[in-house]
Amino acid sequence: MASSVPVAVRADDGPSSARTGRPRRSWVARSRPWLLLAPGLAVLAVLMLWPLLRVFLFSLQDYGLPQIVSGEPNWIGLGNFAEVLTSEQLWSVVLPNTIGFAVLAVSATVAFGTAVAVLLASLGTAWRAVVSSCIMAAWAMPAVTGTYVWVWIFDADRGVFNHVLQSLGLQDAPVNWFTDRWSFYAIVLLNIVHHGFPFVTVTVLAALLGVPRELIEAAEIDGAGGWRRFFSIIVPQLRQVFAVVIIMSTIWDFKVFAQVFLMPGGAGTNREVLNLGVWSYVESFGQNRYGFGAAIAVLLTLMLLAITVVYVRTILKEEEL
Amino acid sequence: MKRIDSHRAAVAAAGAVAMLAVAGCSGSDGGDAEQGATGAEGQTLDVWIMQGTNPSADEFFDGVATAFTEQTGAELNVEFVEWGDAHDRFVTSIAGGTTPDVAETGTTWTPEFADAGALAPLGDYVSDAGLDGDLVEGLVDAGTYDGDLYGMPWYAGVRSLVYNTEIFEQAGVEPPTTWDELEQAARTIKQELPDTIAVAVPGDAEFTVYPWIWGSGGQIASQDGETWTSELDSPASQEGLEFWTGLAEDGLSSAGATTWRETDVLDAFAAGDVGMAVMGSWTPGAIVEANADMEGKFAAVPIPGQDGGIAPSVLGGSHLSMFSTAENQDLAFAFIEMMTTGEFATQWGEQAGYFPGQTSLLEETLDSTDPLVAPFAQQFVEGGASVPVSPDFGAVQAKATTSTMMQSILSGNADVATASSSAAEEMTNLLNGGS
Repeated sequence: MASSVPVAVRADDGPSSARTGRPRRSWVARSRPWLLLAPGLAVLAVLMLWPLLRVFLFSLQDYGLPQIVSGEPNWIGLGNFAEVLTSEQLWSVVLPNTIGFAVLAVSATVAFGTAVAVLLASLGTAWRAVVSSCIMAAWAMPAVTGTYVWVWIFDADRGVFNHVLQSLGLQDAPVNWFTDRWSFYAIVLLNIVHHGFPFVTVTVLAALLGVPRELIEAAEIDGAGGWRRFFSIIVPQLRQVFAVVIIMSTIWDFKVFAQVFLMPGGAGTNREVLNLGVWSYVESFGQNRYGFGAAIAVLLTLMLLAITVVYVRTILKEEEL
Repeated sequence: MKRIDSHRAAVAAAGAVAMLAVAGCSGSDGGDAEQGATGAEGQTLDVWIMQGTNPSADEFFDGVATAFTEQTGAELNVEFVEWGDAHDRFVTSIAGGTTPDVAETGTTWTPEFADAGALAPLGDYVSDAGLDGDLVEGLVDAGTYDGDLYGMPWYAGVRSLVYNTEIFEQAGVEPPTTWDELEQAARTIKQELPDTIAVAVPGDAEFTVYPWIWGSGGQIASQDGETWTSELDSPASQEGLEFWTGLAEDGLSSAGATTWRETDVLDAFAAGDVGMAVMGSWTPGAIVEANADMEGKFAAVPIPGQDGGIAPSVLGGSHLSMFSTAENQDLAFAFIEMMTTGEFATQWGEQAGYFPGQTSLLEETLDSTDPLVAPFAQQFVEGGASVPVSPDFGAVQAKATTSTMMQSILSGNADVATASSSAAEEMTNLLNGGS
């Protein structure tokens, strides 16, 4: 990745210098990129933009089953948003769960993923192939399957985890780990990190292998230790890669749904573990309050947009320095 | 349409039996549509049937499909939908205009979908078929919205106390008839067989909770004029909740049961791990299907009342509903009638452990002496009860008000008094159209 960056910059420079060198190109030449992009943009507009717009339009209505059947709109302005934002549940449970979990999950996924990437980079070809395959297996596991495996592991009566704790004499009677807010999210965290770190590992590894060896050797000659070399030489080189994996992980971990919904009690019977995604779903599809659910979804999208914008700006500013 | 309408009048005149005969002849005579029950040769009827706690129904519907094609000439396309996903599937199909022609709808959903305008009224068809007065009343009430029938009573089920006879013998206890006896039996089982779950107290199964509320004289909710008030936090209801959750608190249930649904109870019972549990009249078939070793090793008794007698239990059930998008409504009703009356209704009831929705058939079932039918029949007749009859009770179920209360009590996050009063507040609000 690091080595490809200069290439990308050069590729960008190419046409623009050509443009300045040869002014007054025809309209066709100038609109050609857009013409080439048009089919892709059209597909995106239909698949992404229209649904997004619909969700936004729903969020301004009291939209229930009768409206679905009749197709009649039922505008109520910002009523849904007012209700979401004044809801005590949002501030005491849903937001802390969503944000707190995302912060922990992103840090853990990126830290663990990077550590594995560093390990892989130092392995020989054969072992790298073995470890990579194991990682890919974790990545390839569907979220639903993975979640059920974790649920089995922590099952109160027949789960391995309780069994081991009891065999070691650490607890007398089985404990139901799904009823407590903290242990519930600890299991979700394990699940998410397990499922999410391979992406980080693969991306970071590609970048790691592109860090020029001379830089590292020079630092080594100057007497820098392993930690110093990692944080002062390698990490700055990988900044853009980290930006990508952090933004992607943030988006994924904010909107985690299946991994919570499928856990015992996660589908709404344990109100302490609701997060934004599940709350939106329970309100929309359980209560038939599609407008209210849409408003929650819109707020989630806005939050993610804000986080991404702030993050991208910070990265770009650092680049300029 | 006109041709079909005139035919409907003919059917009404000739009666249902004659229709079967006429249709039987015309099945091979595709050209003469006037004669066929619906003139439906070459058409396909899409049907959704629920699955989850029902025993496997493939074979049954193979038989139905053959008979249906013989009668009407149309193909039958049955799709099985999990109970858990069904509500969402209905809603998305309503939104997308891809609803089936006929579907099994849970009794609490029928008014909701009718209210939304998704269902076609069945009252005229039922009168034409001469079925007025021969349908089980409770199911008709649940399927009636705004004065017309939208859900054809198909079957009803009821929950009783199912127990593992092997465990009971080993522990030397008898099936309980009062709450004290139940608690005593559970304690003895736990003492004799510490590895078993003496009594399953599930946290995510609202219908297993209501019998204990009713059993001590409590109510779920009461109606005064247009206003509902939840009674979950009345002293009598709390006494029932104290007893039921107290069993778990004393270690007679299991920690895992706090998050169990009814399917988890079924799994554990079928594995032979559970002494007794509140389970439906449709579960014996499913238990044996899951574990053939359990055959003959369990029995049922009506749920005991606090000081004897029978604690009421919810009469749950299913309707067959016709969606307003059905192209050939006569064909759709021909299917509904075939399923809910006569031979197939009896067969389904026997196979699946349900009580038929047709009164004349129900009476036969109630005379049964089968040890896995008779206790449920007794519960059905002497201890059947209904959840609040309100289109908004669906919202209470969807919000999982009762399960939320149960889980917070069982996990020790709240005591009965606190949990029941916040659940009552929420239920009162929802039943009166709040959110």
